[in-house]
Amino acid sequence: MQANTLAILPEISLAVLAALLILIDLRLKPERKALLPGITAAGLLAVLALTLAFARPGAAPESIWGGMLRHDTAAFVFRLIFLFGAAVTCLFTIGWKQVERRGEFFVLLVLSTLGMTLMAAAGDLIMLFLAIETASIPLYVMAGFMTADEKSTESGFKYLLFGALTSSVMVYGFSLLYGFAGTTDLYALAAAVASGDLPPLGLLGALVLVLAGFGFKVAVVPFHFWAPDVYEGAPTPVTAFLSTASKSAGFAVVVRFLLAVFPAAVLPQIIGVAALMSVLSMTLGNSAALAQRNIKRLLAYSSIAHAGYILMGVAAASLLGAASVVYYLAVYLVTNLAAFGVVIIYFNVVGSDEIKDYAGLSRRHPGLAFALLVALLSLAGVPPLGGFFAKILVFAAAVEAGLIWLAVAGVLNAILGLYYYLMVLKVVYLDRGPDEDKPLPVRRAHMAALVVCLLLVLALGTVLGPMYDWSNLAAGGLF
Amino acid sequence: MQPELIVFFVLGTVAVGSAIGMLLSRNAVYSALFLILNFATVAVFYLVLGAPFIAMVQVTVYAGAIMVLFLFVIMLLGAEHLERRTGADWQKPIAALLGVVLLVEAGYVLLSESVSLPGINVPAADYGAPVAIGELLFSEYLLPFEVTSVLLLAAMVGAIVITRRDAPRRKKR
Amino acid sequence: MVPVQYFVGLSAILFTLGALGVLTRRNAIIIFMSIELMLNSANLLFVAFARAFEALSGQIFVFFVMTVAAAEVAVGLALIVAVFRTKDTINIDEVSSLRG
Repeated sequence: MQANTLAILPEISLAVLAALLILIDLRLKPERKALLPGITAAGLLAVLALTLAFARPGAAPESIWGGMLRHDTAAFVFRLIFLFGAAVTCLFTIGWKQVERRGEFFVLLVLSTLGMTLMAAAGDLIMLFLAIETASIPLYVMAGFMTADEKSTESGFKYLLFGALTSSVMVYGFSLLYGFAGTTDLYALAAAVASGDLPPLGLLGALVLVLAGFGFKVAVVPFHFWAPDVYEGAPTPVTAFLSTASKSAGFAVVVRFLLAVFPAAVLPQIIGVAALMSVLSMTLGNSAALAQRNIKRLLAYSSIAHAGYILMGVAAASLLGAASVVYYLAVYLVTNLAAFGVVIIYFNVVGSDEIKDYAGLSRRHPGLAFALLVALLSLAGVPPLGGFFAKILVFAAAVEAGLIWLAVAGVLNAILGLYYYLMVLKVVYLDRGPDEDKPLPVRRAHMAALVVCLLLVLALGTVLGPMYDWSNLAAGGLF
Repeated sequence: MQPELIVFFVLGTVAVGSAIGMLLSRNAVYSALFLILNFATVAVFYLVLGAPFIAMVQVTVYAGAIMVLFLFVIMLLGAEHLERRTGADWQKPIAALLGVVLLVEAGYVLLSESVSLPGINVPAADYGAPVAIGELLFSEYLLPFEVTSVLLLAAMVGAIVITRRDAPRRKKR
Repeated sequence: MVPVQYFVGLSAILFTLGALGVLTRRNAIIIFMSIELMLNSANLLFVAFARAFEALSGQIFVFFVMTVAAAEVAVGLALIVAVFRTKDTINIDEVSSLRG
């Protein structure tokens, strides 16, 4: 029982943090409410430390809480990823007027993070469904949080409609899986699938329905329609959170589901489905990003493309593939947070998300321009940054699995991606803007968060060892 | 024909008919009422299938609470007839695809002999009794049960935040 | 007894009708109701399968789906009200201003 409790220490402490935040918000004097983001970030980092110290899984994966959760390295590593992403998101909300003084926002952020940690650990369809909804429902509200802003409410509304639709499709898929296998336990389901007694075509159909729900969470083609609109309309810190932590949570579920429950050995068609979705996401995301004038929309399409690269690791359906997914997600988290951090800082001062308004940024604030440079080059996959090694890993996984055409498509897409990231950097570095001599103040907390993210981007591209070992352990724990 | 089959087909016809009625009603209030009829019919199915507890929850939560909330919002917004034109939409292709997949799947399950779905037998006397469900909820499914409290807290906070009007601004178009 | 296949068929019909509602209707509230219909068809299938397996896990799942649906509806209707306040419409074609 004690082991059970320690294993969900992150979840318990997140729930406590949310309750504390409600109380603190109630007691805090109005003029001190600006402390809320800092308090939340500190709380999340404390949970991160607790997780590192006490909630480490043993060498062998365990089923706990009556099979509801899995206590393995995959869940552990993903928890760290979400907690870090949530903490950085909190720091970036400092200065976002409609949000930074609202305690409810941070309560929702913490509860959503709680849902994500459960998503990564869920070992049962019931738990998985509840975890996905616990992560999603606060996000709907957070996207529509600026209720006086019509773009924000529209964004939350679209996110909710699409989310509710795909989750009902997913539940239907779950009910079919339950009908085929007679169990809701993921690993009992895996055993039933592996026995080969279940009708493959029926399973594949149910799986496609389930993938609609997961595909929505990670925003891959053809379940990506919501992403650009929601990303553009939501408050930018929420967009950052959506495109990093929420996407990672979706992929945590996808790798467990596709690699552990539906091994390609039993259902080889899965590889085809995943590879097809991967190619479509990369190509569509990158080519649509080319035409964007708004930086948030550009990053939205770029995040669809990156979901495609990550799916390549899933399509490889191997240990290396799963490890590459984990590594890619860690890199993508810090890189994209840095990119959105710059967007948030710039919007707070300038009030625009249009790419053309970034002209002259390098003269106004060289440090900020450099941060954007590093983040975008890492997204593009330029060495020695983290994005380069992450891409190499997924490509290697695809080649190892014999999907050479997929790797080639990935490389071509990386070149296409490089083009539009460079277009943004051209505006930042070469174009002259009208306000070049005006100062651009950057808050200390923002700078600190940016520096941490950028150092991690660099570290993940040069000091590969620790994270790579973790990724491998996490991948091993899935099976 | 067996009496069970007659019950199934009568109830099934009502369920499908009320769903179609919901789709075709021009007035959103009628749609909501048709949906309540549908939910009530499904609740009877639950009773037939040995799930009295779920049937009661269906009536109180779904047909009761949720649909009352729907009706309340429809009337609050005066949204009975807020529908003018139809046009292209961002979710059309995916829903069409899923619809096709689903019908193929259902047809396959129904028609193929190779799929062995279990038959329905007479269950034990206390099958689906509230006591049995309650015991499961507080033993094996304790963790999900606790998670629902978190979920409901989030939904409550969220709904209040979204509808609270601290900056009364209403944009006229 | 009624074979479980019949329930699969019935729930598939209900699910498809719900999906059609999402496709063809423009009123956000009716779209949302159609989504509830789809969830409900999945629930029916769960209970039918639970009966077939004589296991209660399917019924437990339905219990949780209903809880989630209640939460989702509360938040969803709140968002619909918020959209209506800023835009004076809940027709999803007219709501869309985000394009690019």
